[in-house]
Amino acid sequence: MIFDSVPYGLPSYIFSPEWFYGFDSIIELIAVIVCVLLVYYSYKCFKLTKENKYLYFSTAFLSLTFAFIAKITGTLAIYKPEITRSALGSSIHQTFRSLTPSGINALAFIAYTFFILFGFMILFLIISKLTWKNQRVIALLVYFVFLATWISVIHYQLLYVTSFVLLLLITYSHYGNYREIKSEKAKFVTIAFGILLVSQAFFVFVIYSRIIYVLAELIQLLGFVYLLIPFMLIFKRKPKKRVK
Amino acid sequence: MIEKRRGKLEIIADILTSIQDKEGKIKPTHLLYKSNLSHAKLKEYLDVLIKKGMIEERLLKGKKMFFMKEQGYKFLSEFERIKEFSDSFGL
Repeated sequence: MIFDSVPYGLPSYIFSPEWFYGFDSIIELIAVIVCVLLVYYSYKCFKLTKENKYLYFSTAFLSLTFAFIAKITGTLAIYKPEITRSALGSSIHQTFRSLTPSGINALAFIAYTFFILFGFMILFLIISKLTWKNQRVIALLVYFVFLATWISVIHYQLLYVTSFVLLLLITYSHYGNYREIKSEKAKFVTIAFGILLVSQAFFVFVIYSRIIYVLAELIQLLGFVYLLIPFMLIFKRKPKKRVK
Repeated sequence: MIEKRRGKLEIIADILTSIQDKEGKIKPTHLLYKSNLSHAKLKEYLDVLIKKGMIEERLLKGKKMFFMKEQGYKFLSEFERIKEFSDSFGL
């Protein structure tokens, strides 16, 4: 057993009202799809240009992908415990007998916390134009990610407060980028991170009302949709007319 | 203001853009002026572009000209897309 009981007397890290069970997993799945698209394209850019910034961007969204997969796994363990009775589920259950649905949920929460903070931290490093030359700053930030993950197990709000702070800095930097290049796509990216920032603010208070969780998830969905728009616009762009 | 040094890909894109802006064909002297490179460096890049099938060298009315090829247009289109992605996401 990972924890005898989850802090705050919660049965698990589940904040959703029962009628919303599964809908949040679908929202997380949409986030995974958006993240995977960004991982794929930025990695392709890295392969073509050999510029590290694309590799870091790809790593950041890969980390966010892992985070959302962990969250889906952790919530499904509680929403659908009968999964353990499926062929794959039962073989895993036989191997890890000590893993109860609550244990899986708690482990998934730790993974989610680490990967989401790590992903946002890399995004912050990229937009702040920090490079490997700033090794000491990066090392300190990685330490804070571990620290925040550790404390978040006891005080789950710390996760959302930390991601709120990171997203605040990311959004502000993107706003600066938008003001500099005045592009519609950069505006969408800024709005997307701004919406994700608001969603994190809602997540801080999910313990007080389950409906806040629903709102936070819906706002997060909107944020990822907005993140997808500039990406789609770039691909929709028609090439310049060719003269033969 | 100090201009950032261009990378290899940016130089290639600048050369191809110069040809594209001149309706797909350009005189070597114009290209030298527009690319902002030394004669030796430009020759080096042109050799690579010809080898990669992005441009070709032909005579037009007895004068040497560089022509853009399909591969060159493709490269430029992908490069512009990457640049747009990079600018939009603040990379």
